[in-house]
Amino acid sequence: MKNKMVVVTSGYERFVHWALAISCLTLCYTGLGILFKELNFLGVIFGGLKGLVTVHDFMAVIFAISLVLAIAMWWKEAGIFVFPEDWEWIKAAGGYLWHLDHVPETGKYNPGQKAFFLTVALCGLLMVVTGFFMWYPEKLGGDLMDWVYVLHVLGFVVIFAFFFVHLYLGTIGNPGSVSAMISGKMELPVLRMLHPKWVKEMEHEGKLMIANDKK
Amino acid sequence: MGNELVKLIDTTLCTACRGCQVACKQWNEMPGLRTKQTGTYQNPPDLQWNTWTLIRFQEYEDKDKNFTWIFRKDGCMHCTEASCVKVCPSGSLYYTDIKTVGVHHEKCIGCKECISACPFDIPRYNKETEKVTKCDLCYSRIKENLPPACVKSCPTGALTIGPKDEMIKKAYARVEKLGGDANVYGDKFVGGTHVIYVLQFKPEVYDELAKDPKVPQTIALWKSILKPLSLLGAGGVIGGSILHYFIHGPHKPHPEHYDEPKKQGGA
Repeated sequence: MKNKMVVVTSGYERFVHWALAISCLTLCYTGLGILFKELNFLGVIFGGLKGLVTVHDFMAVIFAISLVLAIAMWWKEAGIFVFPEDWEWIKAAGGYLWHLDHVPETGKYNPGQKAFFLTVALCGLLMVVTGFFMWYPEKLGGDLMDWVYVLHVLGFVVIFAFFFVHLYLGTIGNPGSVSAMISGKMELPVLRMLHPKWVKEMEHEGKLMIANDKK
Repeated sequence: MGNELVKLIDTTLCTACRGCQVACKQWNEMPGLRTKQTGTYQNPPDLQWNTWTLIRFQEYEDKDKNFTWIFRKDGCMHCTEASCVKVCPSGSLYYTDIKTVGVHHEKCIGCKECISACPFDIPRYNKETEKVTKCDLCYSRIKENLPPACVKSCPTGALTIGPKDEMIKKAYARVEKLGGDANVYGDKFVGGTHVIYVLQFKPEVYDELAKDPKVPQTIALWKSILKPLSLLGAGGVIGGSILHYFIHGPHKPHPEHYDEPKKQGGA
């Protein structure tokens, strides 16, 4: 091994992440097929548009459950901004827009990740609530339901765009970071770059878990 | 046919025999369901998935306490700018060649979006078939040059159908004859409906009749703005990411992030 690998996520975290990711993507796919008449053909693999709706309804339940688990699991680490250190990072745009040798140091999750988490949490809850009423529109009545459809599409606009931000920054935008969601480990140098303060804290507390694969 | 047809409901001629209600069920092969006595002759109490047209019974007293019955045949108005067609994601609801709103039942996915959108509260959901139903102005009969079942059954001439211009002219002539508060309802909103009423009283007098029916503005908000924005937003992000990757480049560790900076082993 060239670089030390550090354990950064638990199996449970990765399980919840992938449950959320797969259900979310399936919902985006089926949702696109329902939203756009031109994309109705996406339903062919599920036996037509009705099949698309059935899959959408089923995945909605998986999404709702994994969303609640994800929020319960991550909100303390990723849901609360810590000032002033997060503010310094925001002013530097995390080093993503212009070159910085040293990005202002933040905790385990930087403000960009926190903003992403909060957006997914809030828009996800919006989708769950509006989606629920789309099953039972008679509970709200026509006038309120008109806005429920608007909000459901608005939530989709945000989540769909944010998904691609997340995909880019979690893979080729930050080489070496995707392994956190696959093996649960990341290379120490990458960690020192992306989460310097967290690495220092964990080293200081002696909690940094180096994966002991064939030393 | 292909012409634009309009069905005229002259409420002042209706005797509430409900022949139209029965004929509608018969032609469309809709079953009768167990009903509820709610203290009125109106039966069933409301439009249902199996009841596409309904005579509404209303007891009305004017300012001078003169009692009168109001009978209004309720059902799809067949809007020119139909909210239900605008929201229907499957193409189940569509404009026919005679400008009415037809239904392709086999396409309906039971999403209920039309139920919320309809300004006249017409579409009804059938839990068992998971589909929405409503009047299609007997499109199958009109195709064969037959009048809709309700019109055919009407013994008083309260229901008539014909070319749009003629029927509107007929409605206004009737209103002029009736005088007072009598008015034509339907030709002035949602692009003009293909079912129009001659009403004896002002529209606000009638139970369950929309005073100011409109296509909900929210539909344009999500159909015309948010829908394209969902693709533009995602496309913009993908394009931005690609640009970022090639112009700014990915985040790579600084040499001093490595344990042995001299070797520069990784990356």
